[in-house]
Amino acid sequence: MLLALLALLAGCARQHPGASPTTRVQTLQHAEAAPSGWDATAPPVAGWVPVKLTDFWDKRWPRHNGVVWYRLHWNQADPNAPIGLLLDYVCLADEVWVNGSLLHRDPSLVEPLSRRWITPQYFVLDQPLLHAGENTLLVRVSGIAAYQPGLGVVRIGDPETVQAIYRKGMFWRFDIHLFNFAISAVLGVLFLMFWLLRRRETVFGWYALTTLLGAGYAWTFVTLSPWPFATTDGWESMNAALYVASTSTFCIFQLRFCEQRWQRTETALLLYSAASLLATLLAPHVMGPLRNVWALPMIVPNYAAIMLFLWYAIRTPRADLRVMAACMLVPALVSLADLLVYLQIASSSDYDIGAATTPLTLVGMGFAVAWRFSAAMRRVEGFNAELRHEVDVATTQLSETLSREHTLALSHTRIGERLNLVRDLHDGFGGSLLGAITSLEQSPPSPEATRTVATLKELRDDLRLVIDTTTREQDTDLAGLLAPLRHRWSQRLETAGIDSFWRFDGLDDCRLDAARSLDLLRFLQEALTNVLKHSGACRVDLLVRHAHEQLHAEVRDDGRGFDPANLASRGAGLASLHSRAARLGGRLAVQAAPGAGAALQLDCPAP
Amino acid sequence: MRNMTVALDPALIVEDDVATQQRLARLLATAADSDTRIAVASSVAEAKAHIAGRTPAIALIDIGLPDGSGIDLIHWLRHRHPEAATVVISAWGNEEIVLAALQAGATGYLLKERDDVELQLALQSIQRGGAPIDPFVARRILTLLPAAQPAAAASDEGHALSERETEILRLVARGYSNREIAELTALSRFTIEGYTKAIYRKLAVGSRTAAVFEAKSRGLLR
Repeated sequence: MLLALLALLAGCARQHPGASPTTRVQTLQHAEAAPSGWDATAPPVAGWVPVKLTDFWDKRWPRHNGVVWYRLHWNQADPNAPIGLLLDYVCLADEVWVNGSLLHRDPSLVEPLSRRWITPQYFVLDQPLLHAGENTLLVRVSGIAAYQPGLGVVRIGDPETVQAIYRKGMFWRFDIHLFNFAISAVLGVLFLMFWLLRRRETVFGWYALTTLLGAGYAWTFVTLSPWPFATTDGWESMNAALYVASTSTFCIFQLRFCEQRWQRTETALLLYSAASLLATLLAPHVMGPLRNVWALPMIVPNYAAIMLFLWYAIRTPRADLRVMAACMLVPALVSLADLLVYLQIASSSDYDIGAATTPLTLVGMGFAVAWRFSAAMRRVEGFNAELRHEVDVATTQLSETLSREHTLALSHTRIGERLNLVRDLHDGFGGSLLGAITSLEQSPPSPEATRTVATLKELRDDLRLVIDTTTREQDTDLAGLLAPLRHRWSQRLETAGIDSFWRFDGLDDCRLDAARSLDLLRFLQEALTNVLKHSGACRVDLLVRHAHEQLHAEVRDDGRGFDPANLASRGAGLASLHSRAARLGGRLAVQAAPGAGAALQLDCPAP
Repeated sequence: MRNMTVALDPALIVEDDVATQQRLARLLATAADSDTRIAVASSVAEAKAHIAGRTPAIALIDIGLPDGSGIDLIHWLRHRHPEAATVVISAWGNEEIVLAALQAGATGYLLKERDDVELQLALQSIQRGGAPIDPFVARRILTLLPAAQPAAAASDEGHALSERETEILRLVARGYSNREIAELTALSRFTIEGYTKAIYRKLAVGSRTAAVFEAKSRGLLR
């Protein structure tokens, strides 16, 4: 919207040269001027000098503070047609007389002088004021030499045309400044609020300060009265001091925005601003007229800060910086042009483009600061999302860990309970068993005692297996689980004069659950018991192999063999072996024949 | 050292169960000569009193004695009468107790659960200067003792296991019989039994240097 407005303004600017039809509007540039005192009520009789408008009298009468009368004449062909009269520029306060009649008087023609220069003046003249032939315009201007006193060009002509010029002047010289003032005040207060609520964001604070001081400075363009100051000196020097202060804070804002901190420069700027404000209040009559000396040098840090910022924006690829740099570059160039006008190096134009571009700077800065704010918000939101995600992950992990630990604890408890049970068996039942065996063996030998001892020993061996599988289940693979059995039985077989040959294949890292392990161990132990007791063999071969998720166990002896069909021979033992094989989900193959040894082969799945 | 035989006479049995006393006496008598001097003590105090009179060549010591722990007695014997061989009698092969006894200085162990024939073989092995060993004991020793660095070949020094000892322990741990180990290592079975005894000594030395094991084993003894 702002850009559209600016485009419109630029369009108006271009239209201007053609829109001043000389035929219908006459520009009066020749006048006579005569100085007088503050209190003069009538123009002096003598002392008139011809001047060319726009006239600044300080060039002619450098020390004249007071009133200068300007007299102009024009020839009116048709007194019946009303005409428009436009005073482009009067500084500072004026009275306007036409043909001896008072047309306009500013509220204050002595200090504190009204500040009429802020607007052009427009009047419609008609009969009886208007004469046919020569008409006289008298402008009584109250001014002070230090503040560019004088009178601008005067236009007369078709009222509508002149009024259009007046409106254009009002727009460029007053409305825009009012707009600037308002926007500065609003943005300044807004960001002041931001800063007050969030002190850590000092950029906001500096922006607010810059903008509010800028608003104070902009007030000079829109207020007719120098209130609250009693003199024009007071007003002007304060205005210059506000310029100094706002430029200083602008520089600091730029530095902070670039994430720089130039402590000494900043301190110097702030001290200078404070000194300016103080001196202004204490000695307005010295500071006012000298304002160009002490306030104007501030343009150096001002442009330096802008250059620094542009440099920083070029090097840092951030959208907010780029936008702000662009919004600053145009007004900077324009303000340079304005400066030249102010210093009277370049000729004045009707249009204060600088004022028109000031909102651009403000909005650019506002955008950048708001961008920062939203970036911070985005970060916070991103952080929140991230935090939430992390909390979720942590919660999930925690619950997984807890459930795993719970499972583990449960399994430990179960193992512990089993171990306790086994220990009780071991200590109580096992001890009694051993005691019984020992005492029976020491009693006088009898066939019955021998049989009982053999049975008890089988029970003992089985208990051994139960204990082994239960207590070792956790910390060893099948190879480790079979090791005690192998050790004990190879010794036992050796004692009995039987050579045993063991082969374990692929049992490392093979694990069965406790129940299956026990079944396998029992199978082997029973098979070996059979070999030891009944086979009369000289040699036994044992093979346990794990491959392709299949377990193969084989016990083969070269003993006297038996008839598998004849249950009476070794049938009872075989039935038990078959049931073990079934419990393992496998199958038992028996190869045996009387006199040709025996082979038991167990195959079962073992994932 | 490996070939040093152990006399079974005079022998001391420290055991509070009468049936086991008799069983061990019978086994000792069978293993040695029938006229072996066998003394029996049923408590730690009784054993110490007996030893004060005559140091036995071998002492078979039960763990749970009425007035103390057999482990302490083994420890005491090892320091007071290092010439006496000590053999721990374990009721039901609680491997931790067996290991604690070996660390305390026992040169062998007998498991009561075993058949007479097996215990006799064990006693004979001890007599020959060897020591019986079971897979679970071998496994535990492998975790307790560090393996020697190949460069430091001095196997008799320190308590690190020599390569050969480690090999033998691994085979025992996998259940191989002495005959099989002898075949695999091209050593005689008697030599292998001697290795076992040397390993037990290292276990005792290792335990002395690393008191933590001892503390552990004492802790396990309640």
